[in-house]
Amino acid sequence: MNILLIILQTINLLVMPLLLLGVVRKVKALMQNRVGAPILQPFYDIAKLLRKSETISYNTSWIFIYAPRISLTTAVIAAVLIPWSGQLLPPAWAPATNFIFLLYLLSLGKFFVMLSALDAGSAFGGLGASREAVISILVEPSMVISLGALALAAGDMNMSAIYTHPINPIIAGLAAVALLIASLAELSRMPVDDPTTHLELTMVHEAMILENSGRNLAITEYASAIRMCIFWGLSAQTLLLMLPAYNAMPIMIKYLIGIGLMMIIGITVAFLEGILVRLKWRRVPNYLAFAGLFSLLAAMVAAVRM
Amino acid sequence: MNFSTIDLLSAGAALLAVMMCGFSGLYSQLRSLAVQTAFLAGIAISIGMSSGATHYLVLAGVVLLIKSIGIPMFLAWSAKRLEIPRDAGVMLPPALSALFGVGLLVAGYFLSSQFAVPKMGNIGEAGMTMTLIFIGMMLMITRRLAISQVIGFLVLENGIFLYGLTQTHGMPMLVEMAAVFEVLMGVMIAGLVTYRISRTFEHVDVTHLRGLRH
Repeated sequence: MNILLIILQTINLLVMPLLLLGVVRKVKALMQNRVGAPILQPFYDIAKLLRKSETISYNTSWIFIYAPRISLTTAVIAAVLIPWSGQLLPPAWAPATNFIFLLYLLSLGKFFVMLSALDAGSAFGGLGASREAVISILVEPSMVISLGALALAAGDMNMSAIYTHPINPIIAGLAAVALLIASLAELSRMPVDDPTTHLELTMVHEAMILENSGRNLAITEYASAIRMCIFWGLSAQTLLLMLPAYNAMPIMIKYLIGIGLMMIIGITVAFLEGILVRLKWRRVPNYLAFAGLFSLLAAMVAAVRM
Repeated sequence: MNFSTIDLLSAGAALLAVMMCGFSGLYSQLRSLAVQTAFLAGIAISIGMSSGATHYLVLAGVVLLIKSIGIPMFLAWSAKRLEIPRDAGVMLPPALSALFGVGLLVAGYFLSSQFAVPKMGNIGEAGMTMTLIFIGMMLMITRRLAISQVIGFLVLENGIFLYGLTQTHGMPMLVEMAAVFEVLMGVMIAGLVTYRISRTFEHVDVTHLRGLRH
């Protein structure tokens, strides 16, 4: 890991989440025959929100102010440790890249966002937080089992080891499908939640952050953009595990391919959002059962074909 | 770590069977059934290619034409005529039934190694074919509508066909052909009976057929 890569990864972490968000929104607008906001619009939004002053309900406690910061901190730590843009960390970092620790670090940030939604005491916040909690409960097993299947196949719980180990392509493929299906729910994307809607009956993530404004909202939005990058980047890396040739490439080319595939996943998701409809709330568990199914199959193949 | 083409195709068929447990829409179930049967035809073709026996190719053609295209289209037509787009299952909702399907996959995999099959001429693994048989049975037991029970029967039949194809030397072609046409006749009769049920009772929900009156 040389100094150039460190600089590149820092710029990547600062720019890529919002850029990915902008690209997804632009593609979705084009799918709906709209011109859409410019690709850089999320940057302008964040800059605008950072300049604005905040309105804080006098019912709230310190949790409301600190929750977005905790969410951003956990997201940034996870983004440094999870190999979402190609494996960059040296093996000495191994104890910190345990996949269970990282998954629950991301859950911790989500937990505090939910707490802040409940803290404001508004009806929408409570509704959104309870829905988000249900989705988290449903998503968690398939995430843990699919990464666990990869860990079983690689013989190591650390992500830095999993993503450099040659893994049976069938296990990697099944785990990648499970991760993709689960990440759409985790990130409040289309088949589960519509990120553009502001109809109180349907929104999940938007309802949670309804009370946030100004700098608080900017931090929350940026943290959720980073989470989007992490999950899609991780799915892209898992897909790339199917190609044995990918591991042998020089690190710069691996890096570029990883980022490119993440962008392609984002564009594909936006394309699908243009033609799919949102699922009825009661059918969400059925949809997420497929993520669980694929992750269980990956675990079974990993257990049988050690 | 290496998989043969036959193993990959039968694993794909088993995966589709597990996914069929999770679908509640009749049309998506029928599409998966068609693709699954096409995989079986692909297995027959690859056996025919490697052994040089032409009757496997003929068999694959018949299976592709009748079981993979004809029967699903007929069932889709009957489903359209009966106006039943989806089936929510009786005891198991689709999501749980898909997870049970994974359990049956594991069970089939481990049970297949317990069987004392004569070790001659078996190509590929028996686990996937056992899975097809088990899942077919489960679909027949747990589905609500008569048409989805026919779909379960077809999955079961696919499993038996695949077992005969990969685990034995293969039956004579006449027997296999007869089985395919038998299935075609069975499905057509079942389709007609389903239509009669719906005409008589105004539904095809088999759980309501237990009482004498309703």
